[in-house]
Amino acid sequence: MDTASHNISKITSSICPYCGVGCGIGLRVEQGRITGVEPLANHPVSQGKLCTKGWSTAFAVDPIDRITTPLIKENDTFRPASWDEAYQVITEAFSTAIAEKGADALGIIACARATNEDCYAAQKFARAALGTNNVDHCARICHSPSVAGLRQTLGSGAMTNSIDDIEKADLIVIFGCDPTENHSILGGRIIRAKLAGTKLLVVDPRLTRLARMADLHLQLQLGTNIALINGLLQIIFANGWEATEFLSNRCENEEALRAKVAKYPPERVAAITGVPEEKLIAAARMYTEAECALLTYGMGITQYTTGTNNVISISNLALVAGQIGREGTGINPLRGQNNVQGACDMGALPNVFPGYQEVAAPASREKFAASWQQKLPECKGLTSLGMTKGALSGDVRCMLIMGEDPVVTDPDQHHVQQALAALDLLVVVELVMTETAAMADVILPAAAFSEKAGTFTNCERRVQLIQPAIPAPGEAKPDWQILGGLASRLGYNGMNWESAEAIFNEIAALSPLYQGMSYPKLAANYGLQWPCNEAAPNGTPLLHSKQFSRGKGRLIPVSHADPAEMPDEEYPLFFTTTRLHFHYGCGSMTRKSPLLERETPSGVLFINPADAQALAIRPQTRVRISSRRGEVETRTVITDEVPPGTVAMPYHFKEAPSNRLTNNAQDPVTKMPELKACAVRVTNLEDGTK
Amino acid sequence: MKTLMTPQLIRITEIYDDGEASSHFTFEPVNGINHSARPGQFFTLTLPGHCEAAFTYLSLPDAEGRFKALIRRAGTLTSALFNCNAGDLIGFRGPFGNSWPLDQLLGKRILIIAGGIGLPPLAAIADHLINSNNTQVALIYGSRSPADQVLKYERSAWHMYMPILETFDHPSSQEQLAGTPLDHLQEMTVKLGGHPEAILTCGPEVMMNAVGHHFVQNGLPPENIWLALERRMHCGVGECGHCYLGSSYVCTDGPIYSWQQLTRLQLQTTA
Amino acid sequence: MKAFLLDDIDQLRDHLASQRSLFTPQYTEGSTELNWLPLTSKTKSVTTERPLLPTYPAKQFFFPDREILFQFDGSDFKETLPEPEPQILFGVRSCDLCAIAYQDRFFRQDPYYQARRRATLLVGIDCNMPCEGGFCPTVDAGPFVRDGLADLVCHQQQDASWLLMVHTPAGEALIQGLELKAAESHHITRRNKQEQQVAARFPSATHIETGIQRINQAQVPAETWQAMGLQCLTCSGCTNLCPTCSCFTSYDRPVADGFERERCWDSCLYDAFQREASGHNPSATAGQRVERFWFHKFSNEYTKTFDRYGCTGCGRCEKTCPGVIGVHSVMKRISATL
Repeated sequence: MDTASHNISKITSSICPYCGVGCGIGLRVEQGRITGVEPLANHPVSQGKLCTKGWSTAFAVDPIDRITTPLIKENDTFRPASWDEAYQVITEAFSTAIAEKGADALGIIACARATNEDCYAAQKFARAALGTNNVDHCARICHSPSVAGLRQTLGSGAMTNSIDDIEKADLIVIFGCDPTENHSILGGRIIRAKLAGTKLLVVDPRLTRLARMADLHLQLQLGTNIALINGLLQIIFANGWEATEFLSNRCENEEALRAKVAKYPPERVAAITGVPEEKLIAAARMYTEAECALLTYGMGITQYTTGTNNVISISNLALVAGQIGREGTGINPLRGQNNVQGACDMGALPNVFPGYQEVAAPASREKFAASWQQKLPECKGLTSLGMTKGALSGDVRCMLIMGEDPVVTDPDQHHVQQALAALDLLVVVELVMTETAAMADVILPAAAFSEKAGTFTNCERRVQLIQPAIPAPGEAKPDWQILGGLASRLGYNGMNWESAEAIFNEIAALSPLYQGMSYPKLAANYGLQWPCNEAAPNGTPLLHSKQFSRGKGRLIPVSHADPAEMPDEEYPLFFTTTRLHFHYGCGSMTRKSPLLERETPSGVLFINPADAQALAIRPQTRVRISSRRGEVETRTVITDEVPPGTVAMPYHFKEAPSNRLTNNAQDPVTKMPELKACAVRVTNLEDGTK
Repeated sequence: MKTLMTPQLIRITEIYDDGEASSHFTFEPVNGINHSARPGQFFTLTLPGHCEAAFTYLSLPDAEGRFKALIRRAGTLTSALFNCNAGDLIGFRGPFGNSWPLDQLLGKRILIIAGGIGLPPLAAIADHLINSNNTQVALIYGSRSPADQVLKYERSAWHMYMPILETFDHPSSQEQLAGTPLDHLQEMTVKLGGHPEAILTCGPEVMMNAVGHHFVQNGLPPENIWLALERRMHCGVGECGHCYLGSSYVCTDGPIYSWQQLTRLQLQTTA
Repeated sequence: MKAFLLDDIDQLRDHLASQRSLFTPQYTEGSTELNWLPLTSKTKSVTTERPLLPTYPAKQFFFPDREILFQFDGSDFKETLPEPEPQILFGVRSCDLCAIAYQDRFFRQDPYYQARRRATLLVGIDCNMPCEGGFCPTVDAGPFVRDGLADLVCHQQQDASWLLMVHTPAGEALIQGLELKAAESHHITRRNKQEQQVAARFPSATHIETGIQRINQAQVPAETWQAMGLQCLTCSGCTNLCPTCSCFTSYDRPVADGFERERCWDSCLYDAFQREASGHNPSATAGQRVERFWFHKFSNEYTKTFDRYGCTGCGRCEKTCPGVIGVHSVMKRISATL
């Protein structure tokens, strides 16, 4: 390594650690510290641009307040410990739990922010070292319905097209997502396309930035996605606007769908969704008339009790209009974390091995058992919410959580805290003291993305290399090394890899999607998009061009259902959660930046001027928001961004945790909690005082 | 000033409540480091760990270097300051900014118009003017309600030296004047013995704008109307950029502007 | 001004690097990204091919992204001025040199900036071709290095040999020990002529000229600024990469036994940049903030102080803006409205 004794010593090319867009970022190192970032001018996705979070990365990895040694809790305070001692405590508790209740009494939460190598190690640790399929991660609360829904209809749950396709579309449909705030660089490319003449159709209860720029905005009521799409399909079929040839050649089950959507005439749909009939007709016409219409969606589709059905109806719409399988079209879920796609690809899920090979299929089990030289558990494991439930019932005794903060980000905070407190042992692998880490019995210090090698897979399935810019502080290590060491203590020696690259080679050998990839090949190409194999040695920018992964695209009729909790007299307002451009997740990284922290200091409630007036609320008024599950106090921002009758709150702030309010009613298929809609009451705490 | 960005220590010697959520602070130099300041200037206070914020002098440093400020609890730094006790040491930088144009004020008939928390920036200049020969001064002080008034002791002292009218958006008794300062100009003109020849004002921007427009429309030259502006001032030396007003930085070119200067700066941009 | 002929510019670079640590734009290992990095044995020969401009201008050498201002040890405040080693920035382009001169004035009383600046000597290189998106001739910032803005200036002549111009005594001291042939006056004349030829190769920039007029006459409708404000994603990229942007914010970081105050680059595009503790914000809309940014770059009000516009025509804002409101996009929009 070439170093100068002062000033800039080197720049390490890496990938932004925030959302799933996967922008190229150079980490500038001065005196052994990351002091700044340089956008990668030639990166195919970001093209020299970064969002405000990316630009603030140096703060996020600031060594200040990093955990640098293993910590063991004694008398409610943490004391530093050696790795040996920490491993010993964990090994004893895990072994006891296994001896008393079996391996399914243990649970592992992997991390959508960790590398593919770390996630692969986490699921291998659960399955081979412990003997349980109890492994999951936070895709559960973002895109598990995408994986479940699109696997049924198309056979693959990932973004069908590439980010480059945004500029190849004539129409972009932005459905229940806010890309300029949450996936800004991708959102910026939508702006660029719009300025170049592409039409925009936005479907969102909120008047987002892109909705303000859109040619047409369908401002539907919360939780009425299926009714809206069925309504669009009814209009399409009634007018003969469907893609007849595409439907007959590439899809199945058309008649059942026709029969279902016939029950959704425009007047009924307008009544359910609040969207005027003429706008429904205009939207149906726009989508079917476009030569190439690219549809993108986000949490506004998935975070509902009908999440999986919402995804299915998105798929129905694209298939009926034939807007899939070509450049500039497709169904494109926007992924929240830098590696949520990869964490799913790696099988950090209770039902699949790496590459979505079913745990339930004996052939896959045999394949992995042979490679890992271990007998593998047969029954499907618990989801993350299943594990917290199990912790409360006593079925789950110990958990290991890798870099996630469910106390802030999962629904129903009280429930999560009770569950974690009920465990015999909670192990948290973390960079800093999060709310969840504070509840741990043992904390293991992890290396940050800037301190280790590995790969991240972005939302367009691009697997990209990262490399260490600086050494990890103190005794912190990459997650895979931590888990490898623990596996050895537990008597399993199949995880003693020499490098992240060795893990990647093991992944490529076992997962057909990654089969043709290697570190040198990734380095030479700014990453490669899966599937990458003999048939597609340079990766696959476009999925489903000739046929769907499952063969024919399946149309599945689904019905509208109200959110589990609707506003009523006691709780008269709809409540929804959002994300802000300036913050990310639980805020443990973004809130270290003085600029981002200044922008939105400690939580806000967005409220429409009409509702604000009714409650005598002014800007920055202190209010209490109550739901059937709890209450939160914060200050108001009055904005027409939210419609009358709906209030919104970002979920980043531990001072105003929105998850005290949200409903943990779940999607029956994926157990996705309904984070996007519940009923609340807002009380003005300053009323009468001024 | 010791350095550009590094504070020096000062000691809090006295704190007492003055108006709602506001307190009166007295400071004295430590290590004999004294400074002088002019009416209208400001300084910054550093609370270790809470960064720094700008405040105006309520009284200028005396022979021993003691000076005062009226501080309202508004954010994390002022909250930390309110937790301090007499005797505590904190950080100080200053003085910064320009000052009220004394040479253009002496010998004139001057009306001071203050709104709410805008009174303290006018206190040091009021003290100065009432002690100057040939200069007539009067004050109209507008507040939302009696509870929002500040500087009780200073006002009772000023009553002996200049006419004062106090107005309220929401008076609590019939004796109190209802309305804004502009509603009571007539009475003040009588007390002042003629139309004012110069205006000094500080308060909410809406009030200052109304004051400026009123007097310009009534024939007062815009260069004789002076305002003390508030911006988010950090560095105090025209570097950090936060306090821009058109092409000027309030921390060095201000905080005192004439109505003439202000309107020119406002015309530079369309927004 | 003394001038010499130089066959091998790498020889000059090595000679300078033997005296002080030397930084120069070069490709980051394993990539095609041009960044400012220290000279090493792996650094390639000087080229005059595109891309001409590194991702960042040179400002972070004098006004770093983050810098400690002072420390508080529990009892007193201790100023922490940087003590940089002598260094050379080699291969600075004309636009970035104009920006350094601009910031030299802006930070004239800032001891942190000046400590770093005083430790640094500048070697400029003339641009023999337009760079992508650059328009330095329109704002009088290039393509050739202005007199006095660098200690040494290198100019590649048409026969590929170099002309080395010495602008300061420090620059002259640097090249002592090199055997150089003195240049003749016709070399200088030919360089001046060539600058006109290179300038003529830049694409038309009438939108920039018209835009500057509109901004200075405050003729751009507020709605146009608001429409562009909607496109501002508040990323801070333009202000980070702008070679003349200088706004900063400061904050306290806890350290053992006390705290230290650090400053970092700030951006006037942030909503909270001017927001006061009361919640009042003098620049509350994105449109106002976008307008202010361009006013600061192109208003004649500033030329009195800086003898030039705050824009040096490097075009970095256009490349890094995700919302398509970099300099060309903005100036095209505002020159089209009236």
